Amino acid sequence: MRNDYKIILDLIPENSKVLDIGCSDGDLIALLADKNISAQGVELNQEKVISCLGRGLDVIHGDINLIVEDFPYNQFDYCILTQTIQAVQKPDVLLNTLKKVSKNIIVGFNNSGRLSKVIQFLLSGSFDSLLKKSDSDQWYNTDYIHPCSIKDFKKLSLDLNFKIISTYDVINSTQFTDGKIPSNLFCKEVLFHLKNEQ
Amino acid sequence: MRKITNNTDYPGFLLSCEESLLLDSGKSINKFQIAYQTYGELNSNKDNAILICHALTGDQFPAEESPITKKNGWWDLMVGPNKPIDTNKYFVICSNVLGGCVGTTGPNDINPETSKIYGLDFPTITIRDMVKVQKILIDELGIAKLRSVIGGSMGAMQVLQWAATFPEIVKSTVCIAGSLKHSAQNIAFDEAGRQSIMLDPKWNQGRYIEFDQKPENGLSVARMIAHITYLSETAFQNKFGRNLQEKKDLSFGFGIDFQVESYLRYQGRSFVDRFDANSYLYMTRAMDYFDVSEEIKNNQKRILENEIRFLVLSFTSDWLFPTKESREIVSLLNSIGSNVSFAEVVSDRGHDSFLLDEPQFFRVCEGFLRGIK
Repeated sequence: MRNDYKIILDLIPENSKVLDIGCSDGDLIALLADKNISAQGVELNQEKVISCLGRGLDVIHGDINLIVEDFPYNQFDYCILTQTIQAVQKPDVLLNTLKKVSKNIIVGFNNSGRLSKVIQFLLSGSFDSLLKKSDSDQWYNTDYIHPCSIKDFKKLSLDLNFKIISTYDVINSTQFTDGKIPSNLFCKEVLFHLKNEQ
Repeated sequence: MRKITNNTDYPGFLLSCEESLLLDSGKSINKFQIAYQTYGELNSNKDNAILICHALTGDQFPAEESPITKKNGWWDLMVGPNKPIDTNKYFVICSNVLGGCVGTTGPNDINPETSKIYGLDFPTITIRDMVKVQKILIDELGIAKLRSVIGGSMGAMQVLQWAATFPEIVKSTVCIAGSLKHSAQNIAFDEAGRQSIMLDPKWNQGRYIEFDQKPENGLSVARMIAHITYLSETAFQNKFGRNLQEKKDLSFGFGIDFQVESYLRYQGRSFVDRFDANSYLYMTRAMDYFDVSEEIKNNQKRILENEIRFLVLSFTSDWLFPTKESREIVSLLNSIGSNVSFAEVVSDRGHDSFLLDEPQFFRVCEGFLRGIK
């Protein structure tokens, strides 16, 4: 099982209501369902939506920015964005809107500011290395339109008045609390657990 | 008094009711019958029943060979053993709608008050009226909860109406190529169809049976108009292009030059043999009157308490019930906090896609039903 999924499964209590944004083939939703957590997905990719529904999972086909407007206040206990935030048109706008529909927000992403990426960039002189999601990605066709570092995301979270409950270095499943975050230089993949404090 | 017998006119069964049924129009009917067919076996827990709601010109025979057309049933690709709605697993019920012309009480039946054919004395009916009648059938079959209610087009309207009016009976719904309400454009198409029927001199204010004739031309043109809306520009282009019908040159007349003309005329003509003009008027009117938004909002509590799972599906090339309208359903259901899934299926064959071989669509329906426990 993916490490970030393991952390998320431990983090979310049973019987919670969850919205998985950019749920892909629905692997996480299926895992959450096994733990008696009702999870609904949102996915833009048509093929992936068909695949989720074919598995009997709940998913809405469409753009989260539009769909999220429909949900009632505090409809979900948790909103999850794994490997999604960097592909969102306006991450700040989305996170702000999500505040209204969910008490907790979990955001996982690859740290684009880590040393290895920076060195790769310096040596190659090409943005491909920073913007790559898969091998076929180039700077002009990548989904990663907003590469960000752990520091970047921490700043955005605080600017949007979220409380950072905890953060995780996903690769070795280490938890950080009390405002500490994994190393911006060395952590490859990070997970933020945010809470709306307003 | 209610009684179930074998249907002597068609395969399947007949539920005859002698009781007053108050309709949305304020009028009542005091005696009515429901023609229905079933497929598969009802299990001992009575929890594997699926109700299929047919579209405007459908009937109670979605699966196997249709006794009406002698061809495969209208949803034979979807319903049957080992098909997405698997009759090895599910007990499938499909009834002819109120106002229909395949055995359920409609405008061409005898009015018990006057002992004459109803004609236009038949009360105007709504989608809710159709669903109330289906509910009586489900009660009589002793089914307390339907595993799913499934339908496309006018069937999708009934599906939403079921969830809104009888949420306690419904575990899940599959609403295909539907809408919360009939759009102005769709009402306009319906009106063109109705005018075509009513302006046919043989229609005789709906009393054509007494004159032993049918408004064949009117009904046939109504069907031609409607059939255009069921396809897509691409579907027409791919199927016919500008190909000529069994000729090399244009005729410079108004006979059939193009294949598409021949096709449309055939669609119109063959429809007349299997469908009744007055039923067409009543059923299109029921669709025009449909607007279930408020009832869904008002019954939010009951819908949520019963944890109904909704699946909403649309097709990319459907311009009669476009994706936008399915998204409105999703948006409303999300806003009341219910459990919704939605997908837009890629197909270039227009509104009729839901009746055709669309593997993605089948996969989704099969998967969704498998997930309903």
